[in-house]
Amino acid sequence: MPADGAAITCDVLVVGGGMAGATAALAARDAGARVALARRAPGSTGLSGGAVSVAHDPAALPDAPFGGRAGVVESARRIAATHPGHPYHVLRGSLDRLWTAVEFATGQLSSILAPPSGRNRWLLTPFGKVHPAATCQRSMVAGDLAEAKGVLAVVAPRGHLWWDAGLVASGAIRARPLGAPETRVVALDLFLWEDAALARPVDLARLLEAPGAAEEVGRMLAQRLPRGATVALFPPILGLSPGARVPERVEGAAGVQVAEFLSDLPSVPGLRLQRAVDERLAASGVTVLAGEVHGAAGPGAPARVGGREVVAESWVLASGRFVGGGIARRGELLEPALGLPVLASEGAFAEAGAHLAARPAASLTVRDSRSPQPLLSAGLKVDAELHPLDADGRVASPRLFAAGAVVGGHDQASDGTGMGVAMLTGWLAGRSAAAVARARPVLPRRG
Amino acid sequence: MPEPRRYDVVVLGGGANGAGAARDCAMRGLSVLLLEKRDLASGASGASSGMIHGGIRYMLSDRRVTELACRDAGYIRRIAPHLVFRIPFLMPFASRAEGATLAERAAWYATEVYVGTYDLYQPLKGGKPSTRLSAEETYALEPSLRPGLGGAVTLDEWGIDGPRLCLLNALSAEAHGAEVRTWTEATAIDRHEGRVVGVRWRDAITGERGEARTAAVVNATGAWSPLWGRANGVDVPMRPGKGVHLSLDRRFSNYGIICKAVDGRQMFLMPHEDESIIGTTDDDFYGDPDDLEATSDEVAYLLEGVESLVPSVRGARLTRAWSGVRTTLYEYGPTEDALSREHQLIDHAHEGAAGLFSFVGGKLASYRAQSEEIADRVEGFLGLAPRPCKTHEEPLPGGEAVPDPRELAERHGVPEPVARRIVFRHGSRARDLLLLADDDPRLKLVVCRDEGILAAEVVFVARHERVRRLEDLRRRCRLAIAGCGGLDCARVAAQLVARELDWDADQLRAELRELLEANWRERRAVLDGWQLAEEELLRAVHRGLGGL
Amino acid sequence: MGRVRSLAYLGYRALLAHPLRRLSRRGSGRERFLASYGAEGLSPTSPEDRAVAEAASACISCGLCEAACPLAGVAPSVRDLGLRAAFRLYSKSVLALAASGDALAPCGACTGCEPLCPTGVPISRLVRHLASRAART
Repeated sequence: MPADGAAITCDVLVVGGGMAGATAALAARDAGARVALARRAPGSTGLSGGAVSVAHDPAALPDAPFGGRAGVVESARRIAATHPGHPYHVLRGSLDRLWTAVEFATGQLSSILAPPSGRNRWLLTPFGKVHPAATCQRSMVAGDLAEAKGVLAVVAPRGHLWWDAGLVASGAIRARPLGAPETRVVALDLFLWEDAALARPVDLARLLEAPGAAEEVGRMLAQRLPRGATVALFPPILGLSPGARVPERVEGAAGVQVAEFLSDLPSVPGLRLQRAVDERLAASGVTVLAGEVHGAAGPGAPARVGGREVVAESWVLASGRFVGGGIARRGELLEPALGLPVLASEGAFAEAGAHLAARPAASLTVRDSRSPQPLLSAGLKVDAELHPLDADGRVASPRLFAAGAVVGGHDQASDGTGMGVAMLTGWLAGRSAAAVARARPVLPRRG
Repeated sequence: MPEPRRYDVVVLGGGANGAGAARDCAMRGLSVLLLEKRDLASGASGASSGMIHGGIRYMLSDRRVTELACRDAGYIRRIAPHLVFRIPFLMPFASRAEGATLAERAAWYATEVYVGTYDLYQPLKGGKPSTRLSAEETYALEPSLRPGLGGAVTLDEWGIDGPRLCLLNALSAEAHGAEVRTWTEATAIDRHEGRVVGVRWRDAITGERGEARTAAVVNATGAWSPLWGRANGVDVPMRPGKGVHLSLDRRFSNYGIICKAVDGRQMFLMPHEDESIIGTTDDDFYGDPDDLEATSDEVAYLLEGVESLVPSVRGARLTRAWSGVRTTLYEYGPTEDALSREHQLIDHAHEGAAGLFSFVGGKLASYRAQSEEIADRVEGFLGLAPRPCKTHEEPLPGGEAVPDPRELAERHGVPEPVARRIVFRHGSRARDLLLLADDDPRLKLVVCRDEGILAAEVVFVARHERVRRLEDLRRRCRLAIAGCGGLDCARVAAQLVARELDWDADQLRAELRELLEANWRERRAVLDGWQLAEEELLRAVHRGLGGL
Repeated sequence: MGRVRSLAYLGYRALLAHPLRRLSRRGSGRERFLASYGAEGLSPTSPEDRAVAEAASACISCGLCEAACPLAGVAPSVRDLGLRAAFRLYSKSVLALAASGDALAPCGACTGCEPLCPTGVPISRLVRHLASRAART
């Protein structure tokens, strides 16, 4: 690749550095393409809570035991069958590749993500909900309610009011009939001094990275553990970087397995994941460019990213939805990077097509906040090859692909499929983009 | 069911008039029961523009009304100085043609004279005099106004936190012996031989039922009066008017700007505490006051009106659209704006309910005088020797003295901006609040960075301010109301309140759900730009992780 | 009748009382206005203030910037309220800003925060503007 400042020619340009964009870039690289990735700032991926949610069984009754529920891929098939607007439905012909995609992405991020097993893990959240996820960060695996044996002890740091261990534990207690272990709360004299009592999660995580801190916590824990406890579940602050090995050090001193529960915001696990993604991209030979892409013409034409010019045979647009900036609403819905029409959503306006973008906000939302909200799931309409479509249903460009939350039809933030869609669409789009670039190049090949 | 208790008067409705009347009656030594079917200030008092203006428009019909309104605004300022803040308004002069016509100049002069006459009453409420600004001066003071204006006249009014005003009146009533029950509905009035003898009630949270024996009932249920009246066999004629307001996430300007909507109605964009409010609409409302939401066209109407004078308002971030229903007196024919904001105390004796009085109309600014009138009537009806009204003299709880936020911040080790917000909401009671943090330093945790809410405030409010549900905190300390929508604060506040009110995990989650649902109703119609990105995060946390 | 009397009174004010009052006034309209309100901090909002406010409105409270701010562990105001407060609590009104004390001054413009902001809030520029504005009040 050329030195700093010079223009870049490559096979695949990926726009967006979250899970979808990173998976696309790594998949394209894996297929032998020269890949550049343009990213501006973290989005949903950097704000995620630690879970990798792919699909959970929509047909399962609330009291169905964990063990009896459908596996991840089967759950995705069921979602595809019952949600016509969802990307899993659009890609129903490729759902057999879902597992390959998930294994690929988690494999690339194996420094932080635990390998998926095919069944969902069941993880506690700060709200006392039990959340299914295909996999999670390594520091959270031992907290899988479906696998934990013995007694689960939820740790309450006495000095800090941010988390309520009783609330967290209530989720496990309620899930006992489903297969969750017996659960207790154990209060530890953690963060009892003023600086710590008022600190934010990231600073608490840093505190625990200090030499001796994790060991001290482990010792404290060992003294207070209830009988039969096999797993201690902490708030999601066990260190900021995996290299500091905070969970391992606590485990070593405590003598029981140690895990974190999932995080809301501010999210330390989200930061960790984004850093791991950034590190993997940097180490993989993908040229990472810092900057935004907007007002661009698309694949084959030059685009300016952060002061450099990039020309690519094919593009993967993985710019996210509202947080990521891939879709915006300023009076009406639009896609800022390439000006593609926003045509897809779920719920009442799944088939609204061209009229979706201009509707008033209130009509794109539904009174019951729990129902699918067209506005919050709005995005690009794609075909089964992940090409964005225009208002007439025509492919905008055979060299342009879309992946992740920028694809409409799923509420990636809350429907439990966000990461799965990101990985599947990222992997498929990355490979397709690499294939197109190789098979039908239009740019002059440099030496 | 507990033994029926006897009261001198039962007041229905916990808005400004209900709470104010309960206070006045209690201060005069009557035994009072105040029943509010939801939370204090859940109706118009909680959805008003948040101003105690002096009734400038009445100068045209009856200057005495203006004088009384200004005097009463002055009283409110005296008894709750911490809750009021000054809002200077600009009334820009727009000219249709290039260079103003003689008729326009005459109109501008007339406005200047009108507002200048209002200056005579400003001293009654500690208001500043108006000024006439040239076009150049107007733009110097407010650069965001569109070009082509011919000048402006300024006008001074007071802003106030309406929900806290209602709360403080209720707390004061309690301090004087009144019993206040929120989330408790009056299910029926008992009558005997044409007179009221009692009220039956039901607690919506516990299901507990009770009976109050009384000879006097004040119906201050506001927009619910007609429905309530029908259910109880009396007629309360009213012409309810729906009013919608929009909030911006921060102060757009330090000055309020008076604009005209597309249909000529007067509207405003004004600073309110640390955000801005755009208002308001006034439409006859035939719907259910329990089911109120702003519609897209109301939002569009308001934005268009403001945009005509302040084009850059489109770049501002809207956080919510909230609605309330005014209790305008009934008159068939006139358009909504022409209707009087005057009030009426209806005596239902001729309908076989002697002792039942319904209060209709009025405005927030005159709640104290209106409450005095109600208390006088009740006293007279009960045949009691009249006692002097002291509601204009005795400070509301926290209104005794306004502490210096800086001094509090230093003494208690909390950030000064947070101390400022606490002083605004609690006045002298800020000290008691901060003592909680002294006792347990963990309570210095800042729960909301948008509104400056400490864990200590959540605990204080839950213990001392008639909180029974999590959503009550929206009115007590503005929890989850600002741009963050509860992303920062909702769960932690719910945890703190759960400890105080002894909720189990399921109840905590149910309360959190209700709070978020209330928020959602106010945000649906304005989701755009950054607020929409905020909403995506809110759903990720509350729906995705919380399952709420 | 009341209306006629009111109109007559206003007519008297328009023709007699008001012009007399105008004659006895001192200072321009703007001077008198600022004399009334300046002391309370109710100052005009410049176009630059407006631009800063609009940029600050992009903050969605995610907390990512705070992870990179080296001051969090050092300055109590930053620890308690976080960098986020610069776009929320402090900058919502000039009155809040005046209360921010020197919470914004410690910012050394290391710009470690900016690459982390999902919505592209120009953090350094804003904090610098707000700090100087706070110093001025």
